[in-house]
Amino acid sequence: MNNGGARRMNGGGEEDDDEDYVNGDLDAWERTYTDERSWESLQEDESGLLRPIDNKALYHSQYRRRLRSLSSTATAARIQKGLIRYLYLVIDLSRAASETDFRPSRIVVIAKHVEAFIREFFDQNPLSQVGLLTIKDGVAQCLTDLGGSPESHIKALMNKLECSGDSSLQNALDLVDGYLNQIPSYGHREVLILYAALSTCDPGDIMETIQKCKKSKIRCSVIGLAAEMFICKHLCQETGGTYSVALDESHFKELILEHAPPPPAIAEFATANLIKMGFPQRAAEGSISICSCHKEAKVGAGYTCPRCKARVCELPTECRICGLTLVSSPHLARSYHHLFPIAPFDEVPPFSLNDPNHKLQRNCFGCQQSLLNPGNKPGLLVVCPKCKGYFCLDCDIYIHESLHNCPGCDSFRHSKADKE
Amino acid sequence: MKFQIEDVTVYFPYDHIYPEQYSYMIELKRALDAKGHCLLEMPTGTGKTIALLSLITSYSLSKPQSPIKLIYCTRTVHEMEKTLAELKLLHNYQIKHLGPQARILAIGLSSRKNLCVNPTVLAAENRDSVDAGCRKLTASWVRAMAAENPNVPTCQFFENYEKAASAAVLPPGVYTLQDLRAFGKEKGWCPYFLARHMVQFANVVVYSYQYLLDPKVAGIISKEMQKESVVVFDEAHNIDNVCIEALSVSVRRQTLEGATRNLNRISQEIDRFKATDASRLRSEYNRLVEGLALRGNLPITDTWLSNPALPDDILKEAVPGNIRRAEHFLHVLRRLVQYLRGRLETDNVEKESPVGFVASISSHAGIDQKTLKFCYDRLHSLMLTLEITDTDEFLHIQTICDFATLIGTYARGFSIIIEPFDERMPHIPDPVLQLSCHDASLAIKPVFDRFQSVVITSGTLSPIDLYPRLLNFHPVVSRSFTMSLTRDCICPMVLTRGSDQLPVSTKFDMRSDPGVVRNYGKLLLEMVSVVPDGIVCFFVSYSYMDGIINTWNDSGILKEIMQHKLVFIETQDVVETTLALDNYRRACDCGRGAVFFSVARGKVAEGIDFDRHYGRLVIMFGVPFQYTLSKILLARLEYLRDTFQIKEGDFLTFDALRQAAQCVGRVIRSKADYGMMIFADKRYSRHDKRSKLPSWILSHLRDANLNLSTDMALHIAREFLRKMAQPYDKTGGSDRKTLLSQEDLEKMGDGSVHEMLY
Repeated sequence: MNNGGARRMNGGGEEDDDEDYVNGDLDAWERTYTDERSWESLQEDESGLLRPIDNKALYHSQYRRRLRSLSSTATAARIQKGLIRYLYLVIDLSRAASETDFRPSRIVVIAKHVEAFIREFFDQNPLSQVGLLTIKDGVAQCLTDLGGSPESHIKALMNKLECSGDSSLQNALDLVDGYLNQIPSYGHREVLILYAALSTCDPGDIMETIQKCKKSKIRCSVIGLAAEMFICKHLCQETGGTYSVALDESHFKELILEHAPPPPAIAEFATANLIKMGFPQRAAEGSISICSCHKEAKVGAGYTCPRCKARVCELPTECRICGLTLVSSPHLARSYHHLFPIAPFDEVPPFSLNDPNHKLQRNCFGCQQSLLNPGNKPGLLVVCPKCKGYFCLDCDIYIHESLHNCPGCDSFRHSKADKE
Repeated sequence: MKFQIEDVTVYFPYDHIYPEQYSYMIELKRALDAKGHCLLEMPTGTGKTIALLSLITSYSLSKPQSPIKLIYCTRTVHEMEKTLAELKLLHNYQIKHLGPQARILAIGLSSRKNLCVNPTVLAAENRDSVDAGCRKLTASWVRAMAAENPNVPTCQFFENYEKAASAAVLPPGVYTLQDLRAFGKEKGWCPYFLARHMVQFANVVVYSYQYLLDPKVAGIISKEMQKESVVVFDEAHNIDNVCIEALSVSVRRQTLEGATRNLNRISQEIDRFKATDASRLRSEYNRLVEGLALRGNLPITDTWLSNPALPDDILKEAVPGNIRRAEHFLHVLRRLVQYLRGRLETDNVEKESPVGFVASISSHAGIDQKTLKFCYDRLHSLMLTLEITDTDEFLHIQTICDFATLIGTYARGFSIIIEPFDERMPHIPDPVLQLSCHDASLAIKPVFDRFQSVVITSGTLSPIDLYPRLLNFHPVVSRSFTMSLTRDCICPMVLTRGSDQLPVSTKFDMRSDPGVVRNYGKLLLEMVSVVPDGIVCFFVSYSYMDGIINTWNDSGILKEIMQHKLVFIETQDVVETTLALDNYRRACDCGRGAVFFSVARGKVAEGIDFDRHYGRLVIMFGVPFQYTLSKILLARLEYLRDTFQIKEGDFLTFDALRQAAQCVGRVIRSKADYGMMIFADKRYSRHDKRSKLPSWILSHLRDANLNLSTDMALHIAREFLRKMAQPYDKTGGSDRKTLLSQEDLEKMGDGSVHEMLY
């Protein structure tokens, strides 16, 4: 018994030591400021009890606000959007990226959310391509070329996360400009820079580079991790991008995901173009062939280019042999909703529920759950302006962010068709 | 927009107005109604200038039977141009709404250097040479000579102006200096003399402080101004120092040597005149017998300098007999210079009152007080008689006469201090005799007496009750306004400890402590890594700055700072500093980031703005007290204590804190801007120091930020910068209105405005 206790105490001691080791470069008083402030997520209710803050309500209200701000710009006029995007993601791996004001460090947070972003991006823009760039020791390096496979980008990024040296915005922009200039004219050129540093050490005049980017119609957006920098703001203003600074990790996630839906097209660029595309069929199940993308022999599960009959592993992509854009029809369909978004639902004041006229709709149209909170208090609910179906907020979020179809409108349309 | 303040319809050229501008106008209007003086403090970036201009011009428009004149004093030419540009905007707006009856004449007046259009005169490098160059071409005797002999050069522009005579007038409108020059060139009239002539008729005159405060200049330029004028001193936080400087003279060895040379030259001239034109000297003598007031007989261009602040009755007295003759006057001056030279040959610091000094002059050099009093006028009368045009050569003797007149006139409020060497460099003999004025009210008293309303306004006038005491006047309104902000865009912090918890201060016994120097260095080092773009640091003095930068250089801190940002340093050389500032701005623009090291009370602290990304953070290292061992300061403190019952400590703290506020105020110039201010000294946390900061800073200084260590400040800075980088709504929410439209103003009666603001 004694021994066990002693050992446990020893073990505890060791753990403490470990912790000290982890935070070795911080002193005790610093830790109190840099640690998570756990008390901030508590609040006192009327009876003086401590409760965790109702994150759900907060989340809902944030969502409504975002939706409103998006819809105000989107539905005012039907805005043309670039669906075929060529995006370079520039990740700052300078000294500043290793700082620990984001837990455990800025770069880990960046990598985590870049991964999520890349997946989300391809989900929303199946016709688009992404390339990765890093800035390190004052030099910009290309990590991956433009491509449509999320896995290969993520894998390449995860292998290279050491941070050192200064960062140079100009070098990165020059490199991106060189790559994006070769893009066909129907593609939308974009750069998203995740900038951790607060200064840029450039070899020349960055203003010229910015003008060059502007001329080649590259839309540059920056997400800063520490504070607002004049040069970044200037860059975004000039090239029509957005500049934002992350408050904390969740805010950073929100900001980076805002770049997933396609931005409005630049006016002079937005002429309608016909693009040649191929819709390859999944073929050759079970047979062995060499794919054109990896130059490897593979068994089954591939697509055949309809023009040159070469074999590719994944869609969407560009045929290595004949240069044809290869997609599948669901990809096109998935891009479609950006052009015709469903209207935001209107919020319903809770008291109208007691109105006898609305007695019928006590359940959410989507999930069929009761719209009343426990204790018969009416919760927040929304109504579709077209089909007048009532929805709970969770369904609202699901409909707008994932489904992109209103189940109410669709089912009414079907029932009408049936009657006829 | 236009709106009603009591019985005045105010025309305001913008669609929205800040609530503090509105209440500023209300207070100003009351002061004008009461025909009294007022003292108004409102932070920079809230549109003080336009509020002032639009209220006063509208006030004048609403009372056409007794129009008031606006005299607007600025500190620099740059500010003058800015003010006139605003006025132009306002004037166009008023014309659009009121038609031709709103026409006014507004001009800016500056020295010949800024107004001259004659290329040969303008080629001279400094102000005095331009003045002299102009006189060489336009003095009455030169022109008389030119009439006989066409080879004598004259100024074409001046001749045309003279020919046009009374026809030479400016049509109504707003003229900046640029516009005046263009107008002058087009018409072929001299813009400088035209402007000086039009000052009497203009509705709005914008010029520099000196034209009202410096008695030498005020006498000629401003004597024609009507009593029904409103005088505005903008950025007037240093007005007491301006007043004092206008009446202080210092005499060095070089001055005396120069004066001796001047006297020799004058004596040669006299001999020459005696030989050629003795009647001139005789007629001057007769004129002097009749009294100095007859100076007015000379043509207007020749009365280029006037007497220092002499009471009017003295002006009417006749010049004493012993200096009426030119030779006698020269003897008196020689004796005076001889005496002063003797006084400079001293080994220890001496301090004397003017009365004692005059008595000593009288016994040693045989010059009595009355003679001294007339020296300045007598000299200029003589120089006019002798037709001397290169006045820039005669500055030394003018200084001596200026000195003589001042000690002859004032018995109180001055003292004479003779120092054999500079205290900081005791091995280099550099004797200096200073006549220093202690009483700021002397120079400004004529202004208060003469004009109906005097408005003193600035971003930092705290504590606001001290200014009336220093300047010895009774304001009818004295108010301090705070800024209404949509977000907390300034973040003042008081840093008392370094990260090792040891106190930091520039107190005399602590400032050279290596721990303090290291902690200051660490503070800056931490800050450069979290603050983007520009940082400005202010030190208490040049010597302290040099010392601390040297230490940082030795310990490698400077090198580490340079990894994050480039470093620029202010020096006493103006050209060097301008270059440094230029490159500092470029480094901020291109994203490299930069730190600017500067000195409180220096040129940069007073006149250069570090707005937007040029200054995201300003660090005030230490409390910028004046050099407290200075004899002049000690004498002034003693005088203030005896005369105005202002305690030494109070005055010193007040002076230091207004300088500090001025320094940190450089960083924010508009409401859309944001910036942090760090007061790095433990003494700032004491109530007596802190409470003297302007209220717009104090209201943002939260208790939690009063006693910070470096790491805490770092954390706050990070949070603040992130928060400020978020997009925001400029008009503010419905609960915190910070921009009022015309409807808003109409909706609320006076009562509700007050509720909202107080």
